[in-house]
Amino acid sequence: MVQVHLWSGLRPLVDGREVVEVEGETVGQLLDNLVKDYPGLKPAIDKGVSISVDGQIIPKSRGVKVKDSSEVFLLQRLYAG
Amino acid sequence: MQYHTPPSFEEASRIAASASGTTRFLAGGTDVLVQLRSDLVTPDDLIDVKHIPGVKEIARQEDGGWRIGVAVAGAEMTEHPDLGRDWPGIVEGMDLIGSTQIQGRATLVGNLCNGSPAADGVPALVAAGASVTVTGPNGARDVAVADIPTGPGKTCLEKGEVISALNIPARGENGGDAYLRFIPRTEMDIAVVGCAVNLRVDGDTITEARVVLGAVAPTIRAVQACADALIGTTLDDAALEALDKAARAACEPIDDKRGTVEFRTDVAGVLARRAAKIAYARAKGEQS
Amino acid sequence: MALDGPKQDFKYIGTRPERPDGWDKVTGKARFGADFSMPGMLHGAILRSPHAHAKIIKIDATKALALKGVKAVVTRADFPEGLEGEDWNIQENVMAGEKALYDGHAVAAVAATSQLIARDALKLIEVEYEVLPHVTDVDKAMAEDAPVIREGAADYSVPEGMHPNVVRYMESGRGDLEKGFAEADLVIEESFTTEAAHQGYIEPHACVANLGADGKGDLWCCTQGHWFVRQMCTAVLGLEATQLRVTPSEIGGGFGGKTTVFIDPVALALSRKAGRPVKLVMSRSEVLRATGPTASASMDIKMGMTKEGKITAASGTFRMQGGAFPGAPVDVTTMLAFANYDIEHVHHVGYDVMTNRPKQAAYRAPGAPMGAFATESVLDELCRGLGLDPIETRLKNAVKEGTPATFGPKFPPVGLIETLEEARAHPNYSVKLGPNQGRGVASGYWMNWGGETSASVAIGDDGSVQVSIGTVDIGGSRASMALMAAEAFGIPYENVRVSIADTGSLGINEPTHGSRATFASGLAIIEASREATRKLCQRAADKWGIDADAVTWEDGCAKPSGPNAGEFDPLTIAEIAAEMGSTGGPISGHHESTPDGFGGSFGTHVVDVEVDPETGRTTILRYLVVQDAGKAIHPAYVEGQFQGGAVQGIGWTLNEEYIYGEDGRLQNPIFLDYRVPVASDLPMIDTVIVEVPNPGHPYGVRGVGETGITPPLPAIANAVRDAIGVRMKKLPLTPPRVLAAIKARD
Ligand SMILES: Cc1cc2nc3c(=O)[nH]c(=O)nc-3n(C[C@H](O)[C@H](O)[C@H](O)COP(=O)(O)OP(=O)(O)OC[C@H]3O[C@@H](n4cnc5c(N)ncnc54)[C@H](O)[C@@H]3O)c2cc1C
Repeated sequence: MVQVHLWSGLRPLVDGREVVEVEGETVGQLLDNLVKDYPGLKPAIDKGVSISVDGQIIPKSRGVKVKDSSEVFLLQRLYAG
Repeated sequence: MQYHTPPSFEEASRIAASASGTTRFLAGGTDVLVQLRSDLVTPDDLIDVKHIPGVKEIARQEDGGWRIGVAVAGAEMTEHPDLGRDWPGIVEGMDLIGSTQIQGRATLVGNLCNGSPAADGVPALVAAGASVTVTGPNGARDVAVADIPTGPGKTCLEKGEVISALNIPARGENGGDAYLRFIPRTEMDIAVVGCAVNLRVDGDTITEARVVLGAVAPTIRAVQACADALIGTTLDDAALEALDKAARAACEPIDDKRGTVEFRTDVAGVLARRAAKIAYARAKGEQS
Repeated sequence: MALDGPKQDFKYIGTRPERPDGWDKVTGKARFGADFSMPGMLHGAILRSPHAHAKIIKIDATKALALKGVKAVVTRADFPEGLEGEDWNIQENVMAGEKALYDGHAVAAVAATSQLIARDALKLIEVEYEVLPHVTDVDKAMAEDAPVIREGAADYSVPEGMHPNVVRYMESGRGDLEKGFAEADLVIEESFTTEAAHQGYIEPHACVANLGADGKGDLWCCTQGHWFVRQMCTAVLGLEATQLRVTPSEIGGGFGGKTTVFIDPVALALSRKAGRPVKLVMSRSEVLRATGPTASASMDIKMGMTKEGKITAASGTFRMQGGAFPGAPVDVTTMLAFANYDIEHVHHVGYDVMTNRPKQAAYRAPGAPMGAFATESVLDELCRGLGLDPIETRLKNAVKEGTPATFGPKFPPVGLIETLEEARAHPNYSVKLGPNQGRGVASGYWMNWGGETSASVAIGDDGSVQVSIGTVDIGGSRASMALMAAEAFGIPYENVRVSIADTGSLGINEPTHGSRATFASGLAIIEASREATRKLCQRAADKWGIDADAVTWEDGCAKPSGPNAGEFDPLTIAEIAAEMGSTGGPISGHHESTPDGFGGSFGTHVVDVEVDPETGRTTILRYLVVQDAGKAIHPAYVEGQFQGGAVQGIGWTLNEEYIYGEDGRLQNPIFLDYRVPVASDLPMIDTVIVEVPNPGHPYGVRGVGETGITPPLPAIANAVRDAIGVRMKKLPLTPPRVLAAIKARD
């Protein structure tokens, strides 16, 4: 299971949790499982989020590998300027 | 739109007198063409005065005064070897207008006739006591520069009247003038406040003075109380303070995006003091 | 993506050759948006709302259509219905539907045989409006009695009970604020505002559109990203993506404002209706009234510090308006507000608010400068209150590799500490200041971007190299691309030519935005070049009759990789190219990806100002930019980016602002009154390039375009504070405001 940190605005959608655990070996699987296991997050994830894996911000790539020990944060969807 | 290139002022006047729609004279065009392109004023008749003989001349008169042609551009005034020595304030006022490109085209008469209360070329002309020659259907007459503007965008010129020359009096001994303006940037801006000072000294004492404020009222304003604050003094602190106070008292500015009433009033006093110091140093030959 | 780690020894990278587009640009040969024309072309003009907020009751174009030379009039009725989300927002913004939402909002457009006729025709279009109450200020737009811009625009994030103008809400943070503030020796709480600033690019938007009734079309336009233009135009007009080919012109600045569309779909709609090509060129006042400036902001910041200078806690509330649509960059503002520092207890709240203003567009580091203004101002006050040096204090709190960012994850290698150390060591930091002078310091961050990227290289028959990229050249990037290709091939810079391909010639490329072009297109070129050199090696191997693995590419030649490979004279790229038709065909390389390894860039600015105590006018005396470039491919253009960011920041801080009247109309839609700095306002901007290589790029590149506008707002405000002894909390620092503050002080 990968620990996914949520920004505080998302916490009310998952009963106040700061961190949720989901299965997944890639960013894409994590996102899919987040929606499946925590349906409250669906509107946020549908709207678009970024994810960070071990410090690297991943705006889009679903294929990026994730390990159970990876540091993973959900971030607000980022835009380029 | 009709474009005319009359060979004389009489002809220019005749065309203007017989025109029925909107008429503009074309000197440097830095107001006229900008207004045309931005759809503000589209003249029916555009009368170019640049083809009239003599309009590009800067001529010293017998009495020591100057006659400046109506198409002389700012850069030509700045580069003139003697004009700026006599009237540094007039030349620096004109030189503040626009940029290098604008300086190659813009004229003092255009600046005057555009009628802006913030025109940078005009206060120093008024302070110098300059006049213009006006050619019209009834012949030519001389009018003080101070009397030309009558309100924002308005002049006292009648239909068919065109300015045919700008006359600046002889400098005389122990005189000095200066013009300062306030803008938030260093160039390409409209004066928030402008101030010209022209004075004469006898030793350390000021004997004659004129102080003219721009952009603080519907027209450029010569302020007698400011002059009175200077005359008879050696420009000591008390005189400067009295000048500052008189300048503020003369302000009737508007509150707009370019400056508040309070700010314009404050800065009018500041510029009056600063311009007076420069003019005084020039009159005493301590500064060019 | 597996990379070998940034390369360090370079032959071409780091040199300063002339930019390939330079001559054409200074001699007037380069073709910008408005320089394009076509046979039979019509000229378009757009009618714009004079009201800040009004219901459109009726549009009658009968008289305009009767004018000789008028070929078409379009209104919203000429655009498809049923769009959603951002596609609908863009459509609504380029042509008003039921309501005009801001002063300058397009309501109709004309195509005619001349520009003059088109403009005359606008005056003949009769529009009946019902004027509605309006609001242009962010705080007023959130108030209970504010007029509603549009019901139902809010997304899932907005808590119940908020005004319908609040369309997004964010909250993030960690730790225990109360505990953090309790640990502080000094806590400061202040509120700040910034006004909207426009990107101020010199070139107004311009395009020529040619769209047939069959739905096939061409568009030539000035843009930062032609695939974005294609996506937006085809969505707004209901066309098939690849049936519209978009070709970018040279571009006279964009700064984020040309990553979206304003006139292009309108020109296409006019062209489709008239059956002829249509050119549309905006005037400056149209640019200021109806394209996107950045958001304006209203912010409350609270920070605590120990007497040793350690930040114990920080919190911020950021209210931002981005015009009549969702999209103010409050997510980035909140995320980056405190990102320079290692703070255990931190909390951010953000509101995206709609007002009757034009739809905001990205502007260089969108959202970051406003937040930095507020937070770095408070940090400066803390340093003052505790008698601490601003650089030492920043060093004490600065993030480095492994520090958990205030927005969550741990930082990869970053260069904030290096920029602070360089700034401290720079002579500018020890110049003695005179009366009425002050010094300010601030740091800032931008996380940069990768984005979809596709690039190709092709070998010419003389061994020169043609590079095709999809990111337009705004700041000299052709030169950087050519340098990277030259390095990868080991051939002279002059032997590389870089072209910007149209949407028909490459895969999708995101715009030149997010400081990504040199990073992402550069990475693609290096990879594409490596693919091409592998093919070149293969041709040499075939010729020598040895295995391709036994051939290496070095200095523009194929060589046997070692003594065991055999004795062969090196084959130059020109020799291999001369024979390529008969040895297997043309040689090219291609690469496409959405690279993620973009590394963020930190910068530190030090500025000295002098304030005229009698007029409140601020003069910039000295300005130093120190920033991390990872690896400066072309140092001169990196310095240019640093300087440009500083200059735009100076404008935003001192004089640039959107001024709305009581009537909700923009008061200053010309450069005379929208005051960007002119050359004579500025000192030479000093620069120091710091290079902390980015592990995510083969040469270590980090984007440098955006970070540079983040520190100037607070750096200058801090310098003015130092000079006048009063903290200015409202931007811009216009002379009337500064003078009023000085008078209130005395
Ligand atoms: C970029 C830019 C910057 C500027 N900066 C400044 C500035 O800093 N300060 C400032 O004061 N102004 C400024 N201006 C305004 C303008 O340049 C000046 O007012 C200039 O002096 C006008 O002179 P001109 O010869 O170009 O006038 P024109 O545009 O040719 O004419 C102006 C007006 O004068 C009338 N006119 C011209 N000649 C005659 C004549 N012989 N008889 C009767 N009427 C006549 C015309 O009919 C017209 O109404 C600026 C303009 C631009 C475009």
